[in-house]
Amino acid sequence: MGTVGDAVEMVDVRKTYQIGEPVHALDGVTLSIPRGSYTAIMGPSGSGKSTLMNLVGCLDTPTSGTVSIDGQEISGLSDRERTTLRGTTVGFVFQTFNLMPRLNALENVALPQLFRGVSREKRHERARDLLGRVGLGDRIDHQPNELSGGQRQRVALARALVNDPAIILADEPTGNLDSETEADVLDLFEEFHDAGTTMIVVTHERHVAERAERIIHLLDGEIEWIESLDESNSSSASDSRGETKGSEMGSNEGAIDHNDVARGDENGASTSDDGGR
Amino acid sequence: MRPLESLRLSWRSIRGHRLRSALTTLGVIIGIAAVIAFVSLGASLQAGIIGDISPDDQRNLYGWAADPDTEGGPLAGAQFVFSQNDLDNVSELEPVEAAYGYATIDAQSITYGGETRLQGDGLIAAGPSYIREGSLKEGRQFQMGEREAVINPAAAEQFDENVSVGDELEVTIVTGGTETLTVVGITDSSEGQSPFEGFEAAPRIYVPTDPFYVDQAVGPAAGNGDTDVDNGDRDVRFIAIVVEAPSADQDDVDRTRDAAIAYFESDQSDASEFLGDDLAVILQTSTELLQQLEDILGLLQNFIVGIAAISLVVGSIGIANIMLVSVTERTREIGIMKAVGAQNRDILTLFLSEAVILGVVGAVLGTALGLAVGYLGAWYIDLPLVYPFEYVVLAIAAGIGVGVISGLYPAWRAARTDPIDALRYE
Ligand SMILES: Nc1ncnc2c1ncn2[C@@H]1O[C@H](COP(=O)(O)OP(=O)(O)OP(=O)(O)O)[C@@H](O)[C@H]1O
Ligand SMILES: [Mg+2]
Repeated sequence: MGTVGDAVEMVDVRKTYQIGEPVHALDGVTLSIPRGSYTAIMGPSGSGKSTLMNLVGCLDTPTSGTVSIDGQEISGLSDRERTTLRGTTVGFVFQTFNLMPRLNALENVALPQLFRGVSREKRHERARDLLGRVGLGDRIDHQPNELSGGQRQRVALARALVNDPAIILADEPTGNLDSETEADVLDLFEEFHDAGTTMIVVTHERHVAERAERIIHLLDGEIEWIESLDESNSSSASDSRGETKGSEMGSNEGAIDHNDVARGDENGASTSDDGGR
Repeated sequence: MRPLESLRLSWRSIRGHRLRSALTTLGVIIGIAAVIAFVSLGASLQAGIIGDISPDDQRNLYGWAADPDTEGGPLAGAQFVFSQNDLDNVSELEPVEAAYGYATIDAQSITYGGETRLQGDGLIAAGPSYIREGSLKEGRQFQMGEREAVINPAAAEQFDENVSVGDELEVTIVTGGTETLTVVGITDSSEGQSPFEGFEAAPRIYVPTDPFYVDQAVGPAAGNGDTDVDNGDRDVRFIAIVVEAPSADQDDVDRTRDAAIAYFESDQSDASEFLGDDLAVILQTSTELLQQLEDILGLLQNFIVGIAAISLVVGSIGIANIMLVSVTERTREIGIMKAVGAQNRDILTLFLSEAVILGVVGAVLGTALGLAVGYLGAWYIDLPLVYPFEYVVLAIAAGIGVGVISGLYPAWRAARTDPIDALRYE
C-alpha cells in the first residue's frame, strides 16, 4: 500500500507502554500520507494522537511495525541518523510551544540550524526572514515570556520551518489560542501547504480539522475511520471500514490534483487497520 | 555544533545563574588561590634567604644545645649551657679560629643627640669577629671587654642626624639602667649577619658579650635562673654560640665541628654536666640551618597543597552537584534541543563546556587571588617576589581538569536524556 515516495508510511505500527497493565497507545496502525498532502488527526484524549506524531517526528520508535519517513525506515536508523532526519526533514510545532526560555525569538528560531553547524550570520538572517513571514519582525529580541501565546506559537512555527522541512507536524497547535490568532496560524498552515509542504495537524476541533484534505480518526490506538474532505462530499464518509477505504481513495486523487505541488499520480494515501486488509 | 557556539550557549546559562555559579566556583577559587599564594610566598622566601647567605658565612658554625629530636629550626628547644670558660677553651683548640657566645639583650630605647628611638629588637651581643671585616663600611670591629658597638645603617639613619663612628649612644636596658656605647663601626648592610638574627632588614646594634651580656645575665631576664647560687662570671651561660672554622672548606668546617663537640662532651667542659641523651650540642652552618628551614617550609607547603587539593575535590563535587541540578532543571530544554536536531554529542559538549567554564573561571580567579596574596605577603615581609609561572599553567590545567571530571557524569546524563520523556517533564 502507498508508494515508496510517500512522506509517511506506517505498517502495522504498535506502541505499547508496560506500566503494570500494558497500555497499547497505538495498536496496529497502517497508513500512508502522500507528499504535499494536508492531513488532520482527531480522536478523544488518550487515543494515541501524540504517540503517532512522536513516531512520525522521529522522536520515538515503535514497539513493532515499521515507520518510514521520506522513504527511510526509522527503526533501521541509528540514534544519530534519526536525530539528523528529525532536524532536517521534520518540523515539529508543539501544543506547549516548547521554546527555549532564555533565548530570544530570533535565537529560538535559529536553534535547529545551530545544531547543523550553520554560521551565526546565516542562521540569524534566515530566522529574521521567517519571523517576518509569521508577522513577528518587530519581536525578534523578545524572550518567550515576553510574548503572547499566539506570538509564541508563531515563533514555534517559524522554528519548525527554519530547516525547510518536507513535513510539518503540529500537535494541537491552536489549543491555546483565541479564535483570531487561531485563524492566523491556520492561514499560515495553508500557505505552507500551498508551497508544497506535507502538513499533519492534530486537533480536537472540527473547524480546524476541516481545513485539511482528510481527517484520520483515532480511537484507542486504532484508526477508526478516515474522512475525506472534498468540497463535494465532506460529510459522506461512513463508519464502515470498507466504505471508508473506498471513499478515501477516491477523494484523495482529487486532493492531489487540487494540490499542484504534490507529485504522484497513483493513490496518494491509503490506509487501513488490520481488519480492513 | 561549532565549539565556539557551545561555549557561548554555556556561558549564557552560567550568567543566567550568577550567584549560584559564583558560589560554585568558590571552592575552586580558594583551593587554587591557596596553592598559588603559598607556592609564590615559599619561592620568594627561598630566594630571599638564599640570596642573603654570603660565601664567607660558610665557615661559621652556629650552635646551641637541645634535645636531638627537637625540630623547628635554629635555637628550637635550646638551653643555657655554654659558659664563657667553655668558649675560651674552644677558641684555643687547634682547628678553631674563634668561639664566642651569642645573645640578645632586651633594650627599650636608644637615645642619640637628644632623640630617643624605640629598640624593641634589643642589642645583639657576640664576639668581635661576628661582624666580619669585609662587611664593615666604616670603622672597626668592637673589642671584648669594652663598651663599644657596631651598628648597621638602619640603626644609624633612624636619627635626624646620622650616627657616625666615634659617636655615643645611650641605651635603656629593660632589666634596668642605661648603658653608654661608643660606636666604633658601621656595617654595609642592614640585613641580619647570621641565621640567629633572621635576614630581614632592621635597625641593629652589635655589642661584645663582655661586658653587656655578662652584666645582664645575672638578672633573671637573661634566662639564667641560678642567680642566687653564684653571681660570678663563671656561671654566666649562653644559649647560643658561634664557632668559626679556619676556612669555608667543608673538611675544615667538619674538623672544627668535631673538635668543638668533642670538647663540650668531655668532662673538662662546664656544659658537659647538662649534656646527655636528651640534650646534645648542635653545630651547623647557615646552609645547613637553611636546609632545615627549607625542609620545614617544604613540609608546610605540602600540607597547604594537600588542603588545597581537598578544597579542589570539594570544589569539583560542588560543580558536579550544581551541574546535576542544572541538568534536571533543564530537562525540558534538553528535550527541546533534541527535538529540533541536537545530537547527543551536542548536549554532552554543551554541559561539559559549562562545567569546564566554571572550573577555568575558578582557576583564573583563584590564580589572580593567589598571586595577589603572595605579592602582598612578599611585600609585607620585604622579600623579592618570585612568580611561580609553571604553577599558573598548572592551575589553569587543574581548572580544566576539575571541570571535565565534575562535568562528565552530569553531561553524560544530559546527553542520554530521552527527548520524549524530557518534553513531557514538568
Ligand atoms: N510515556 C508513557 N508511559 C505510559 N503510557 C503512556 C506514555 N505516553 C502515552 N501513554 C499512554 O498512551 C496513550 C496515548 O497517549 P497519547 O499521548 O498519544 O494520547 P493523545 O491522543 O495525544 O491524548 P490527548 O488528546 O489528551 O493529548 C494514553 O493512554 C497514555 O496514557
Ligand atoms: Mg496529545
